[in-house]
Amino acid sequence: MDYDAIVIGAGNGGLTASAALARKGMQVLLLERHNIPGGCATSFCRGRFEFEVALHQLSGLGTPEQPGPLRMTLDSLGVMENLEFVEITDLYSVHMPDGFHASFKPDKNQIIAELKEKFPHENEGIDGFFDLVYKYAGDMIGAFIFRDPEPSREKYPNMYRYAFKNAKAVLDDFFKDPRLKAVISVYWGYLGISADQMAFAYLAMILFQFIEFKPYHVKGGSQALSNAILNSFFTAGGRARFNCGAQRILTEDNQVRGVVTDDGDIVEAPYVVANISPVETYTNLIDKNLIPDNTLQEMNSRTLSNSAFSMFIGFDCEPEALNIAESTNFLMSSTDITRTNHDRMNRIDIQDELLVMSCYDVSDSSFSPPGTCQVNLVTLKYGDPWLDIPPGRYHEVKFRCAESMLCRMEEIYPEIRQHIEEIDVATPLTHMRYLGHPAGSVYGFEHRTRDSLFFQPGRHSPVKGLCFAGGWTGDGGFEPTLRSGVAAAKSILKQTNK
Amino acid sequence: MKKGIWQEFDGYEEIAEEIEFSFKAGKERSFDRLMAGQYIRQLHPRQLKLRIVDVIAETASTKTLRLAPVDALLPPFLAGQYIPLFLEINGIRTSRPYSISSQPRQTGYYDITVRRVPDGLVSNYLMDRIKTGDQLDSAGPQGNFHYNPLYHDKHMVCIAGGSGITPFMSMIREIVECGLDRTVTLLYGNRQPDDIIFHEELERISARFDNITYIPVIEKPGKTYTGACGFINAALIREILGSMSDMTFFLCGPQGMYEFCLPELESLGIEKRKIRKEMYGPPDNICDHQGWPSQIEAEDRFEVKILDGRTISVRARDPLLVSLENEGILPPSICRSGECSMCRVKVLSGKVFQPAGTPVRKSDTQFGYVHSCISYPLGDLEIML
Repeated sequence: MDYDAIVIGAGNGGLTASAALARKGMQVLLLERHNIPGGCATSFCRGRFEFEVALHQLSGLGTPEQPGPLRMTLDSLGVMENLEFVEITDLYSVHMPDGFHASFKPDKNQIIAELKEKFPHENEGIDGFFDLVYKYAGDMIGAFIFRDPEPSREKYPNMYRYAFKNAKAVLDDFFKDPRLKAVISVYWGYLGISADQMAFAYLAMILFQFIEFKPYHVKGGSQALSNAILNSFFTAGGRARFNCGAQRILTEDNQVRGVVTDDGDIVEAPYVVANISPVETYTNLIDKNLIPDNTLQEMNSRTLSNSAFSMFIGFDCEPEALNIAESTNFLMSSTDITRTNHDRMNRIDIQDELLVMSCYDVSDSSFSPPGTCQVNLVTLKYGDPWLDIPPGRYHEVKFRCAESMLCRMEEIYPEIRQHIEEIDVATPLTHMRYLGHPAGSVYGFEHRTRDSLFFQPGRHSPVKGLCFAGGWTGDGGFEPTLRSGVAAAKSILKQTNK
Repeated sequence: MKKGIWQEFDGYEEIAEEIEFSFKAGKERSFDRLMAGQYIRQLHPRQLKLRIVDVIAETASTKTLRLAPVDALLPPFLAGQYIPLFLEINGIRTSRPYSISSQPRQTGYYDITVRRVPDGLVSNYLMDRIKTGDQLDSAGPQGNFHYNPLYHDKHMVCIAGGSGITPFMSMIREIVECGLDRTVTLLYGNRQPDDIIFHEELERISARFDNITYIPVIEKPGKTYTGACGFINAALIREILGSMSDMTFFLCGPQGMYEFCLPELESLGIEKRKIRKEMYGPPDNICDHQGWPSQIEAEDRFEVKILDGRTISVRARDPLLVSLENEGILPPSICRSGECSMCRVKVLSGKVFQPAGTPVRKSDTQFGYVHSCISYPLGDLEIML
C-alpha cells in the first residue's frame, strides 16, 4: 500500500481529517481538484481587497479559559499558534426598510432587554422563550455531550418534549407578533430551512452556542484557517496533490483498496475519507453494485440544500462612513417564517428575501486595507432554477439580481453607491463550478428534522474503509464540518488501533 | 433506521413516517450532478478546442486570429475578458492570455489580436507558424476587466497602449453593434502612426456614432503629423474630457503606461474607485523594478529543488513559472500577471522577488505561497508545487 489513508477533497472536513490522521503517524495523501485548500473556506483577491467567501460567524470557539468544542478541535490539530481569532462583539442586528432596527450582543440578558424594549407587549413570552432555550440546551448537553448512560424523560423533559417540534410551533406558543418571531428565528438563514420545517432543537442550540461561546472571526479570513490546517498536515509529514481530484475509488471484496487520481495514477490505501458529496461518490466514483439498495434509496430520499447568491463589495471608506455599525446584519423585508418564505429561494430574482450582510472590518479594522472596508452580502437560493437560464443570458441575469440586491442594501445604507470600489458576484452556478456540488448546494443535504443525525447515516458508508467528512455528513457550517473530519479520523484510528 | 432514546421523543412517529414516505418519493440524484456538470462546461469549460478559420493582417507587426469552436458552442463572455491559449512550442508547453477583440454577441467565433514581441516565444509562433485550419487549445473566457453595470459609470474613458487596444475593441464593437447606452472616449497611444491597430475601423466608428470618441496619441510623430502627440498626460485628458465626474477610467497597456498614466490620473483628482486597470503580463525587465535587490544580476543562476521532484537551474530574470515550464514542469496558469493565483507554489526555503502590490492572499503570504508567474528567484530555493 502506498498510503495508510487517502482523503478526497480539501474542504473543512477533508483538511481536519487529513491533519488528524497525519498527526497520529498515518501516511496520508490529500487530493484536491482546485489549486487551493478550503472548499467554501476560502478567499479571493480583487484590486486591493481580499474577499472572504463563506465565513460569517465562527461558532463553538469560546475563550482559552472556557474553550468551546471547536477550540478543542483546533488545539488538537496544532493550528492555534498560527491563527488569530477576533471576537465579534455583536451577535446580530436586524434591519427593516421601515426603520426597524434591533441590535443584539452575545449576552442573554442584553438580548432579552433589547427584545423587551422593541416588543414590550411580548414581555412574558420573551422570558419564557429564552428560559426554554437554555433548559433545552442543558438537557442536550446532559444527555448527549456528557453521554448520560441512563437518560429519561424525567431527567430531560424539555429534550423529550421539544427535540422534534418545529421552531415555528414553539415560537407560536410564546409570541403573537410576527415581527418578533421573524427577528428571533433569523438564524434560519444559516441552516437554509424555514422555521416551520426546522427543528426547534437547531434554533435553540444555535442561539445557545453563539451566546455562550461567542461568535468569532479569524484574521486573514477562512482561508487562513484552511491554510493553517494544511500547514499542520504538512508538518506532520502529509502529502497533498492540488489540481488533482479522484476519478475512481478502487475496492476489492467490498473493501477500499485505493483511488485512481484525475491524472490517472493508481494510489493504494486501505482507507478513504470522502470530503465530497455521497451523490458524487455513489454515482460516479465507486462501483454502484457495491452500494446496497437501501443506501442509494436513503440518499435519493434526501433533498439537496440551497445554494447562494453572494456579493462581495469593497468600499473606499471605513464602515462608519456607510453607517455600518455591526458585523452581522440581517436585512429583512418580510416577516414570513413559513414555507412560502422558503419558496422565495426557488425564484431567481431577488425581491424581499432575507439577506445577511457581514462586515468583518467592524470587529477587525485590519481586515481590509486602511481606509476601506468590505461586506459579504448573501441570500440563499436553490441552484436548479439557474440551470434553466440560457448560457448566453447568464451574465445579464446575474447583474440584474445583483442590482436588486444592491438596492435592498441601499434602503438601509443609503451612502453605498458613492463608495463602491470593487464588486464581484457569485451565483448558484459559481458554487456548482467551484464546489462541484450537485445543485450548487452549500449546506449539503437539507436540514429538516428527519435529516438530523438521529436518523441519517452521517459519515458511515456500506463499503469497508470508506467514510465521509464535511457538510454532507451532518450539519453544515464551519464548526460542524471542521469537527466532522476529526470524527472521521478518530473512527479510522480506532480501527487501526493507532 | 437508527435506534436510540430519540425514539421516545415526542413527535418521533411522525418523523419516522415522513422518512418512510421520502424513501418512496426519492429522486435519482445522479441527474443533478450531470445537469450541473453540463451547464458549467458550457459557461466555463476547462478545455476548449478552437480552430483558426481566418488570419487577418492588421499592421506590419499585428495579426488577428479568428477562432471557431471545434466541437462545442463558444462560451459567452463579457467584452474585455480574455481566453488562455495552451501551446507547445519547440518542446515547451506554456500558456498565454489573450483578450478577445471581437464582440460578445457575435457568437460564432472569438477574435484575438496578437502583436509580435521581439524574441517573444508565443507571439512569434502565432505570427509566423499558425495558419488557417490549425487547432489551438484554450479554456473558457475569464478576467475582471469589463464594464460592470453595478458600479461603473456609463461614460467610459478608455486609455490604451499598443496591443492594449484589444479588450476595448470588443467593448466598442458591442456598444455600437448592439446600440448600448454607453459612451466611450478612447485615448489610444502608439509610438508611430503605423503601429495603430484598428485605426480605420475606429475612425469609421467614431465618425458615425456620437457616443464613441477616438483620439489616437502618437509618441514620436513625424513632422507632418497633426494629431495628439507625446504621452497621454493630465493636460491632454483634461483638454479632451473637460469635467471628469461620472466617468470611469479603464487602462490597458504595457507597464510603462501605467507607471506614467496612473499618477497623471491621480493629479487630476480621479478617485481610485473610478480607475480600472487590466493586467498585462510580467514586467519586461524585472531588474529595473522598484525594490529589486541591486546585487542580483539578470543572468544570475540559482538552483530550485522541487519537493518530491527534481532540481532545476533557473535564471534570476525569468519568472519561476517560465523556468518550471522550460523544464517540463507545469503548474496550472491562466492570467500570468500575478492576479488569478492559479500558479501559486509554496516556497519552503529561499527568497523570491514578487513585486509589491501583487494580489496575494494574506494567509498565503503567511505560509510562504507565491504566484510563480510573477515571482523571481533571488537565490537557491526549495518549493512545493
